[in-house]
Amino acid sequence: MRPTDALRLVAALGAIEMALVRRDEVAGPLLAQAARAAAGTPVDSWLAEAARLTRAPEFFGGAPAQAARRKVVQALCRASAQAVQALLLQETA
Amino acid sequence: MRLFGEAAPLLAESGVDLAVLADLEATVARSAGLPDGPRADIHVHLGRDRDGHVLGAEELIDDMDRWGIGRAAVFALNDPGPEGDFTDANAAVAGGAARTGARLVPFCRVDPHRNAAAAIARAEAAGARGLKLHPVAQHFTPEAPAVIACVARATDLGWPVLVHAGYGARPLVPALSLLADAVPGARLILAHGARGDARAVRTALARHPGVWFDTSLAALVDLVDLPPERLIFGSDRPYGDYATGLQLVGCAARVGGWSAVQLLGVMSANFAALVEA
Repeated sequence: MRPTDALRLVAALGAIEMALVRRDEVAGPLLAQAARAAAGTPVDSWLAEAARLTRAPEFFGGAPAQAARRKVVQALCRASAQAVQALLLQETA
Repeated sequence: MRLFGEAAPLLAESGVDLAVLADLEATVARSAGLPDGPRADIHVHLGRDRDGHVLGAEELIDDMDRWGIGRAAVFALNDPGPEGDFTDANAAVAGGAARTGARLVPFCRVDPHRNAAAAIARAEAAGARGLKLHPVAQHFTPEAPAVIACVARATDLGWPVLVHAGYGARPLVPALSLLADAVPGARLILAHGARGDARAVRTALARHPGVWFDTSLAALVDLVDLPPERLIFGSDRPYGDYATGLQLVGCAARVGGWSAVQLLGVMSANFAALVEA
């Protein structure tokens, strides 16, 4: 992964994490963008599924099932951020 | 069964494809690349939080079995109760730990300004072995006299003190330095790799003899900047999950070039040295 691609993803995932915590609907489009930016990278499948999960009706709803679904999206984003940051740090070490 | 820390029936109700998610969780876990070996978790909440998060002792034990976690330090979620002193929540944590044998080590959570001395005494009688402080949730400053008194009492009891050091607006170093200096024998565990003020904390406190850091929901860049001898694995269940928590430590070990002994320390030996001392 090129450092510029990694930086683009790391920046996007930080914004997405905060949007998910705040139940801000901007998380959906941001995740769709991040998933496209991650195509062909080691975190491709994690972010593709995270983006798909945000497209559910009532994704930002208050029911426990919706909260659980959002927590899974957060986890997939966290895993992606950690993996990309590791690649970037190894690249620049 | 839980996936990424969430109950499978709830996820199914929300329309998640559980098989797909289980495969993805397995790839995250594999990517951690952690060797087999003892694992202990210094940061787990039990009970029910005001924000809706819930975790019971039995559910935690199921998770620990699945992820190879032998022991965990457990303390209350943000559920201070009508008196604000965590009486019922601490009792529930102690009860959950007692029901599950020696695998769960109960910590006492207090609001230093709400009957804390009595809360610590009750928790000690119920078997507590550590103190949990959350300056942001309970709206106190770590250097306040009431906090110093709590930490001093915990230190007298031989307890480590886990302090929230994640998101929050205030700078951490001046307050935590004062606290550490005020109670010289204190053993402070700064949660979340002290991501709330990581750069300053690394400079001022990373090698302080009384300060450790947990890895729960920490930032990778912060963990690789800290000495592994001072790190302790934590999950922050139910906010965090084991798949990504273990992946984080695996990434830090690779990027930081940790030795096998250092990794063993982060995953279990540092926990044992602090909690079982």
